[in-house]
Amino acid sequence: MLGIIIGISSVITITTLGGIMEKSVTDTYDALGTTLVQIGLHTKPDADRDYFEFSDFLSSEMIEEFEKKFEGRVTSVSMSDNAGSGTVRVNRENLSIDVAGVSPGSINGSMTELVKGRYITDKDMDAFRQVCVISEKQAAKLYGDENPVGKIFTFTYNGLSYDFTVVGVYKSSMSKLMSAMVDMTGQDWDTTIYIPVTTAQLMMYYGDMTSVGYFYYFTFMGAPDESVPELAADAVEFFNTRYYRDNDAVEVMSYTAEQELSMFSNMIGIVSMIISIIAGISLLVGGIGVMNIMLVSVTERTREIGVRKALGATNGSIRMQFITESMIICLIGGVIGILLGLLLGNIVGIAIGITAPASVGAIVIAVTFSMAIGVFFGYYPANKAAKYDPIEALRYE
Amino acid sequence: MEETKKNPAAGQPVRRPVIDMRGIFKAFYIGTPNQLEILHGISLAVFEGEFVSVVGASGSGKSTLMNIIGVLDRPSAGEYYLDGVDISKIADKELSSIRNKKIGFVFQNFNLISRTNALKNVELPMLYGGMPKKQRDERAKQLLKMVEMEDRTNHLPNELSGGQKQRIAIARAMANDPSIILADEPTGALDSYTGRLVMDIFHKLNKEQGKTIVLITHNNELAEETDRILTMKDGNIISQKINPKRTMDDIYRMTGRDPAEMKKGGEGK
Repeated sequence: MLGIIIGISSVITITTLGGIMEKSVTDTYDALGTTLVQIGLHTKPDADRDYFEFSDFLSSEMIEEFEKKFEGRVTSVSMSDNAGSGTVRVNRENLSIDVAGVSPGSINGSMTELVKGRYITDKDMDAFRQVCVISEKQAAKLYGDENPVGKIFTFTYNGLSYDFTVVGVYKSSMSKLMSAMVDMTGQDWDTTIYIPVTTAQLMMYYGDMTSVGYFYYFTFMGAPDESVPELAADAVEFFNTRYYRDNDAVEVMSYTAEQELSMFSNMIGIVSMIISIIAGISLLVGGIGVMNIMLVSVTERTREIGVRKALGATNGSIRMQFITESMIICLIGGVIGILLGLLLGNIVGIAIGITAPASVGAIVIAVTFSMAIGVFFGYYPANKAAKYDPIEALRYE
Repeated sequence: MEETKKNPAAGQPVRRPVIDMRGIFKAFYIGTPNQLEILHGISLAVFEGEFVSVVGASGSGKSTLMNIIGVLDRPSAGEYYLDGVDISKIADKELSSIRNKKIGFVFQNFNLISRTNALKNVELPMLYGGMPKKQRDERAKQLLKMVEMEDRTNHLPNELSGGQKQRIAIARAMANDPSIILADEPTGALDSYTGRLVMDIFHKLNKEQGKTIVLITHNNELAEETDRILTMKDGNIISQKINPKRTMDDIYRMTGRDPAEMKKGGEGK
């Protein structure tokens, strides 16, 4: 029965956790919008180099051209470039920040939400303004209760000190699970500051104006009635035929949120499967345990079986009796397992701050499955009981 | 046998015995060359309403005969008609139904199901017979009342005395109103006083309901009270003693040559 409890509870825990993870991921992507498409450079499979040259980059002109060509089909075309990390000095302590260059459209489809002030604008971009949008956490740390908008944000980047004006404050709308996972990768998104991408590139290339306006990738969102895969394919075709036909090493590729989502789902699926296999093994062991219990019970009650047969019980009804008993044992194990699994799943869920409703399907399957185990592993002992010779059984001491 | 006697109720159809055994052999095989023959061609006729006792030393074949009468076992050779049904023509599967409907067992050690109460124990044969719950309940209560155990319906067997257990076992044996009650040493585990009470119940069932009873016993005193005493030895019935108190009328009644008015109340089929 312990095996059944462990088996069923792990199945329920896993399905609950799986539900939580999936919910979290889909929530995240719902916030992002699954219409998000990223167009990025990649080297052709048969290329003789595996790096990009400056001439391979997507230029602002190319992107503008694309925007014109796809007008109405795409929205929120945005460029971004991660400048890398810098440091902020707070109370004689250096805190690390990530400097992200963004364009005005970047806020759409990102996991950030503006809570104060404004976002980066086209004017900021054109004028290489030194303005930034910082996180709530940073604002609280640096300015306490004061309004951070208009304050000067001083940070060090590539050994140089920069004074930026805070124009807005954002809050990460990432789910707790997502941010926990991002934390594990070492980049807490809440340490990011957003600055105009042009300013960022200028900083990166040490003031070389000619390097500004070239990107590895850019993102856009499909119009509501557009098919994302189709749109992505069209966009790739546009760039590859128009700009990269003569490039023998590099072309563009699309990445959609949907692809990432399905990748993530696959990952969850694999983890679930592995744990399900473990659960399956413990169910098997549990089933054998139940069979053992039933065999002992049948032997102990040999005489009772004889009496029942003398009173007119058919082999079938004896078999049924013991199968039912075995089923009940398994069902009790199953129910305890379900309760334990729900408890465990929710404890973990509460710990990471997301709760998902218990999967009714999983519970129904668990109940059915534990009964099936009862029938399967109860059959052999029950059949043994059914086949007892009534005279022998009655004589049994 | 007796049916060849003068018949005061001529014209009535002759009743067949409830237990009609002709040349019953039973052999067990212990290893290939050895064959142990327990019963050596037993012929036995027991009529409806008869109270027959079987006595004999241990190993005389009483229990084997009992098992065959109760269709727990089949004879190796010979014919056995139970209530007119040829047992050799009945499939193994249907034997359970015969046991259920036609036979009521009473054992020396009661053999009540220990985990269920008196009422449930009495209901068990009716359950196997497929009787609906409500009817089952009603009849079980009635039967418990008959054996004066109506105030013990919810007691578990281990809360009852031996005599009480045996009374419940008798009520259970009567559950499906069987043709025969087979009692294997029913008083063997009881003191003489409670044994007497149990014996009285059997007599009552025999007299008032006309039940056919086959009783195995070691107690000659109790055997003397029955209509007929069969003595077994080494797999044969070696003697038959007819109770001198039994009148010709009794015999006519049992063999069916009586107008049989008095029987109608007792047979509830």
